[in-house]
Amino acid sequence: MLPQLLANGLVTGCSYALVALGFALIYNTTRIFHFAHGAVYTLGAYLFFTFWSLWHIPFILSLFLAFIAIAFIGILIDETVYLPLVRRGSSPLVYIVSSLGLYIIIINIIAMLYGNETKIPLSGLQPTYTFGGIILARIQLLIFLCFIVISAVVFLVLRKTRLGITLRAMRDDSELISVMGIDPIFIRRIVFSLGSVLAAMAAVLNSLDVGMDPHVGMSAILSGVVAVIIGGVGIFEGAILGGILLGILQSLAIWQISARWQDPITFLILILFLLFRPQGILGKRRRMEEASA
Amino acid sequence: MNYLLHIFIMINIYSILALSLNLLVGYAGLLSISHAAFYGIGAYIGTLSIMNLGIPFLPSVLLAVVGSVLLSFIISIPSLRLKGDYFVLGSIGFQIIAFSILYNWVGLTRGPYGIPGIPRPSFFGLTIDSIPAFFIFSLLTAVLCAVLIYIITYSPFGRLLKAIREDETAAEALGKNVTRCKITAFALAAGFAAISGVLFAGYMRYIDPTSFTMMESVYILSIIIIGGTGNLSGPITGAVLMIFLPEILRFLQIPDSIAANMRQIIYGLLLIVILRYWPQGLLGDHKLK
Repeated sequence: MLPQLLANGLVTGCSYALVALGFALIYNTTRIFHFAHGAVYTLGAYLFFTFWSLWHIPFILSLFLAFIAIAFIGILIDETVYLPLVRRGSSPLVYIVSSLGLYIIIINIIAMLYGNETKIPLSGLQPTYTFGGIILARIQLLIFLCFIVISAVVFLVLRKTRLGITLRAMRDDSELISVMGIDPIFIRRIVFSLGSVLAAMAAVLNSLDVGMDPHVGMSAILSGVVAVIIGGVGIFEGAILGGILLGILQSLAIWQISARWQDPITFLILILFLLFRPQGILGKRRRMEEASA
Repeated sequence: MNYLLHIFIMINIYSILALSLNLLVGYAGLLSISHAAFYGIGAYIGTLSIMNLGIPFLPSVLLAVVGSVLLSFIISIPSLRLKGDYFVLGSIGFQIIAFSILYNWVGLTRGPYGIPGIPRPSFFGLTIDSIPAFFIFSLLTAVLCAVLIYIITYSPFGRLLKAIREDETAAEALGKNVTRCKITAFALAAGFAAISGVLFAGYMRYIDPTSFTMMESVYILSIIIIGGTGNLSGPITGAVLMIFLPEILRFLQIPDSIAANMRQIIYGLLLIVILRYWPQGLLGDHKLK
């Protein structure tokens, strides 16, 4: 029982980690609490659903189209909603509330176009594989493999390329970036498109596993944010670690308590971290003024 | 006529919610997304005390207020250590935990089935049993709450809250106990939210947890952001606007199936546009920061 639960938790954690990594890319570099990331997640799943299930475009091409569209939507969100606020020097709280407004708009447009009922792009029984007593559905395995590949690529980019160094520099001091002759707008476009595609990947994989409705993005973004805090804000690896850990903890909580209490347990973990280890698992202790800036 | 009165009753209920949240957001400078939790906790405590314990209406209101205030300490004392985005996130956490408790503690709250058949408010041998009577009752309650909040905001305590909002360190340097001040503001906001909760339960005569979700908290917050914070006219204007405006859709012959979504889209848009062009809201005198 326990190994199976751990495996399920790990797979759930992988999809949390993808959302969290996307959120962290945006939050760590721009300090925008991108709540509408959850709406981008939902949108990603519905775009893929439209291309693949409704228009019968081949699978790989549908994926490609959905990711391209989502990348542009991510940039569009930044340039129409956040950038004007940044240029006016708004406070972080204004970003959060605007982002909530944007979330509401996108989710309701989706609900208006597609209805509130659950959509299942992949129907029928899935083939399963057994590894030493642990049973995983094909799609669960796919989620795990995608996660490994994507996180490896993202880390190579972050650690080994010039772009990665720039992103980490922007995290440490966003104003110095322009002094160094790097266009911050260009970096913003990169993080918003890449972050949004990561959310869309998690969304498509998840929708193939358990289906989707317009409100899936809410729990996705909340778990993603909690994962980022657990792992440590400002640390890209933290998002991955936090996501996996959250998935496993939730899975154990469901086993020991009940699935009904999953949300409160997630947020209890969050509140405990915020109070006793606000810098997260991987974070270094910082002064409060720095952490809140 | 009853339709108009219904709208006015909702405006009264939401005015109390908006005015009390304004104490936190507009005066203490704390952006909390948990007001619907206190609203719901008030509605549930009041209702359960009337229906399960057989306590009369007015003492039940008192019980709801006391319960809500006590719960506010559980959230305010730890969460006031958090700043900025983390405070907002902590308040969302509390909101979600409170909703889950209302939803999952079926033995006490009947969870998703809700509580039907809540009796009309009655006190001093008077029963509020018609819509016009309820309109007057809710109006009087709202006016009473507004007057109390007015007195609070113009008291030395209200000025101290404003001082903390403008410069916390300076207020502390003057020897003011900033944390205790914020905890008090939280408790006051929670107490008033509980009053509107009991009012809502008595009017609807049915409550279920879906009226007290995180999105409801965002809605109450958007009322004061759109109307403006830091004074009394802003939140009331916001409540009037946000409740009247969607009714216009009814006259534009928009089918019911999409009217709910249209309403949400309009308020999402309003939120973004207001924050961009009038960051202090329509009538507010304080910018969100």
